[in-house]
Amino acid sequence: MKNEYIPYPAIIEEIRGEALDTKTFRLRFKDKKIAEAFTYQQGQFMEVSVLGFGEAPISITSSPSRPGFLELTIRAAGMVTKAIHSLNTGGCVYLRGPYGNAFPFEEIKGKNIYFIAGGIGLAPLRSLINLVFDHRKDFKHIKILYGSKSADELCFKNELELWKKIPDTEVWLTVDRPCDGWGCRIGVVTELWKDTHINSKNAVSIVCGPPIMMKFVIAKLTESGFADKDIIMTLERYMKCGIGKCGHCNIGEKFICMDGPVFTFEQVKKLPHKEGIF
Amino acid sequence: MKTKILKKEDLKSLLKEAVKEWDVYVPQKNMNNDLWFEALPKEGLGLDQAVGNIVLDDADTVISPKDIFFPQLESCFEFSAGSIRETVESSPKLLFGVRACDLKGILFADDFYKRNFQDKYYLSRIKNRFIVVKGCIKPPRVTCFCVSAKTGPFADAGYDLQLVESLDAYFVEVGSRKGEEFIKKHERFFKDPSNDVNEIIPQIKLKASESVELKVDFQKALELMAQDNFIPEENYKRIGERCIYCGGCLYVCPTCTCFNVFDNVKDKEGLRMRNWDACVFEGYTRETSGHNPRKEKWLRASRRYEHKLKYDYMVTGVSGCVGCGRCLASCPVDIGISKFIQEITEKRKII
Repeated sequence: MKNEYIPYPAIIEEIRGEALDTKTFRLRFKDKKIAEAFTYQQGQFMEVSVLGFGEAPISITSSPSRPGFLELTIRAAGMVTKAIHSLNTGGCVYLRGPYGNAFPFEEIKGKNIYFIAGGIGLAPLRSLINLVFDHRKDFKHIKILYGSKSADELCFKNELELWKKIPDTEVWLTVDRPCDGWGCRIGVVTELWKDTHINSKNAVSIVCGPPIMMKFVIAKLTESGFADKDIIMTLERYMKCGIGKCGHCNIGEKFICMDGPVFTFEQVKKLPHKEGIF
Repeated sequence: MKTKILKKEDLKSLLKEAVKEWDVYVPQKNMNNDLWFEALPKEGLGLDQAVGNIVLDDADTVISPKDIFFPQLESCFEFSAGSIRETVESSPKLLFGVRACDLKGILFADDFYKRNFQDKYYLSRIKNRFIVVKGCIKPPRVTCFCVSAKTGPFADAGYDLQLVESLDAYFVEVGSRKGEEFIKKHERFFKDPSNDVNEIIPQIKLKASESVELKVDFQKALELMAQDNFIPEENYKRIGERCIYCGGCLYVCPTCTCFNVFDNVKDKEGLRMRNWDACVFEGYTRETSGHNPRKEKWLRASRRYEHKLKYDYMVTGVSGCVGCGRCLASCPVDIGISKFIQEITEKRKII
């Protein structure tokens, strides 16, 4: 019987600074066979261990259309993520996964796509964003609406510039606290509705961010005519095992780790709301 | 195989024989007169002493035997110098004297740990397992409500052997092929009963059922809980204000399966461990950012009751409460599932 709790060593091949306390780690399983057999889907997550510090679930930010490596964008926030940040290129972490369900891909072909993210919430969306761009002709117009507290906290800055140049693609940015020379909007991400027209016709929206941001974005999307099934989001909960056993990420009868993390607003509406999902 | 008879006076000799092949877990009285499922020592004076502490009749173990398969604290793997060695335990286990409600709890946990991803630690521990149920002739606790929960006092299935107590002997019902093999192997202890056994056993069981005084409308509670937002927030808030969030009810609960995971390090060696966790603890859902969806106490109270009586039933068709009554018996502030059920089905304030 496979022991699903045993993680396997992976080497840090590259580290990129993204924001103040956020780095992207490019990883490859040490064992060649495991590395070659490893596949994942957009929206899934890994369980990352630094032995002696513990384990944390981290969403995959690289795209399955670019195989051979795995990228995780991690903010130094808790014990495990701080330990990961202390490692250098060539260092070793331990991985198991991928776990959880995926963002739809085939189902959203031929549509206009709105990606709406707050802060490090862009990390899981980036997996789908690059997958979509690698199949650009299958999709219609793409808008990326991205906000963070300050310009320093915007992730994937170089890539945001690259995405802007892709045909039929718009990238709109906003920050709560501007710095000198900030040329984009100031305010929460829903302020971007003033900059660009949000049209629900033949469109889906993919949302990820802090709970308060999700709440306002979803209200705004509904106001703009998006059906509940066309608002797709990835949820977060304190999580330990990642495989539906430890119980921590339960909401109602669902496990975020197994039934999610990707849900439509239609599904989220059926969850018990007294716990405040976002 | 037909029902057999085991004389009470032969019990100790039988267990001394079984201990050669199995790790035998049986309720034993400790120095405080509390009953725990403990493994018998394999031989010598220790075995003789332990056998002397066995209590089978009216046995009321502090916690269910779930910790034999899901220990309160266990190691998942050892690590040192970058290498990982899994620590899996799979010794043959014979549980002797399991109550019918606790059997339901074990079967519930089996199903949970097998579902979707398989939990190797749990499943290794149950791989070679033999369960002897001892039906309760009278309820070991005043808080027992197995008849209402339809989980006891005798089991219908799921056991290898089931003991039905009768004066100086036990009728032994055989529930599996493993049970038959066990009887054949130890045949000198198992005799054929007299012909009227088919009349006597149902009478004993009926009398045992009638002796369970606490009755609640369990099925009605499950049906009410299945309705969306049936329980007013005020009810949970009232319970939430009384609960002291000690987690005791969850530790003693036969169907609670939640755990925490952490690393324990000494020098360059370490262990990945897991230990029981409880959804009533504030830290259970607290995220690194400090955001906590169940920060408010009443949300944790509602989680506890809705998980057991609503969501488990919704997902598996089996309630997460087996009516053992331990939650109420162990609660410092007199809250328990049976009281909660009474409150919602009888529409009166009890807690």
